[in-house]
Amino acid sequence: MKKKQTTKALLVTCITDHKQDFYRLAFSYVKNQDDALDIVQESIKKALSSVETVRNPETIKSWFYKILVRTAIDFLRKQKKIRVMDDETIEFLSKGKEDHYKDTDLHEALDELPYRYKTIIILRFFEDLKLEEIAEITGENTNTVKTRLYRALKLMRIQLTKEDLS
Amino acid sequence: MDKRLQQLREEYKNVQIPKELDIIVEKALQQEPKKKRIVMWPTSAAIAAAILFTALVNINPDAAQAMSKIPVIGKIVKAITFIEIKEEKDQSSIDVKTPALSGLSNKELENSINEKYLKESQQLYKEFIQSTSKNKKGHLSIYSDYETVTDTPDLLSIRRNIETTQASSYTQSRYITIDKKNDILLTLKSLFKDERYIKVISQNIKEQMKQQMKEDPNKIYWLTDEDAEPFKTILPDQTFYITEDHKLVISFDEYEVAPGYMGVTEFTIPTGVISNLLVGERYIR
Repeated sequence: MKKKQTTKALLVTCITDHKQDFYRLAFSYVKNQDDALDIVQESIKKALSSVETVRNPETIKSWFYKILVRTAIDFLRKQKKIRVMDDETIEFLSKGKEDHYKDTDLHEALDELPYRYKTIIILRFFEDLKLEEIAEITGENTNTVKTRLYRALKLMRIQLTKEDLS
Repeated sequence: MDKRLQQLREEYKNVQIPKELDIIVEKALQQEPKKKRIVMWPTSAAIAAAILFTALVNINPDAAQAMSKIPVIGKIVKAITFIEIKEEKDQSSIDVKTPALSGLSNKELENSINEKYLKESQQLYKEFIQSTSKNKKGHLSIYSDYETVTDTPDLLSIRRNIETTQASSYTQSRYITIDKKNDILLTLKSLFKDERYIKVISQNIKEQMKQQMKEDPNKIYWLTDEDAEPFKTILPDQTFYITEDHKLVISFDEYEVAPGYMGVTEFTIPTGVISNLLVGERYIR
């Protein structure tokens, strides 16, 4: 009982401390405020109801990231069938080839990555997590994460130095 | 770091944090996990709560209240509106109708159910007050009403809906089912001979979920291991009611087994599936 209470307290502290990070991550998937808030809310709900399954309280942040990422991807998967086309796509399709805005390529490079790659890029370079933590979150081993990270960067045509990757 | 990656990182970090985030997080954290549902309150605590609740409503002049007691003729077991609370403040509002049972011969049962309802309303009012206290400008809307879903000479099922809206809404449905002839509050467990019903009903619900998802791709239930919290089994005291034609219906709160947009979900269990586990045919057939 005591262990459970302290784990729950840890979770509450963790969420309170990092709620902005969690919101940003959710936003990076769904790209709009309302859905991102929904995802944060739902993730907290899920986390609270299964907090007693956390064995190692030190990994609670990774554990919550895991729930958040899954909730976000789940949400997108379900929404896919009815996704509204954005203005840029409509314009692009209706007028044929147009001049690109200067950043479009870059955003697309990240947004069009499969989720398993995109997640790793975000967690590693934007959330500054360690490869081991990312492995914990995605449920893969560290080597797979490393391989995917290389592959994702290659897909985005980004060159990095050795220090960036370690 | 690569310039382009750096640029993406900056944009990522510059995403505006909406001011609602604090409220939503705080609210979500306050919510107790749904799994721990208390069925009965100790009588003394419930009475204390009821007194406190009445006092709250009376002391607060803003609380527009309507108390309606309908005289009961003969022995008619039914639900009446005991207290209605309506209040609006800043961006928040509350509209809660508290049901109360009348006409049961078993007064102890009647009181304990009514006290439970009062306690729930009192809790909702407390949430409303917290949300509108001076230093917090909450956007909270609480709505609760009730409905008699089944009323036969033998049975009475009452549903209480509680809808809490704060950016997104959360709906709960609570049911009670009473044997009017014998003055008994039915529990799911009491309908069956032994614990096997949990497995049998859960299995049937899973099949129904799969079937529904196959037929309509817009329907989603959390079933697979990919989902963070897949549906495994019903609770021994899962919410349920009995329809007028004696069918068992199992109900889940919003978010309990499916994403929010699915709302409160219900499954009618074919009587054939559970017939050999039932204690008798009095309620379900």
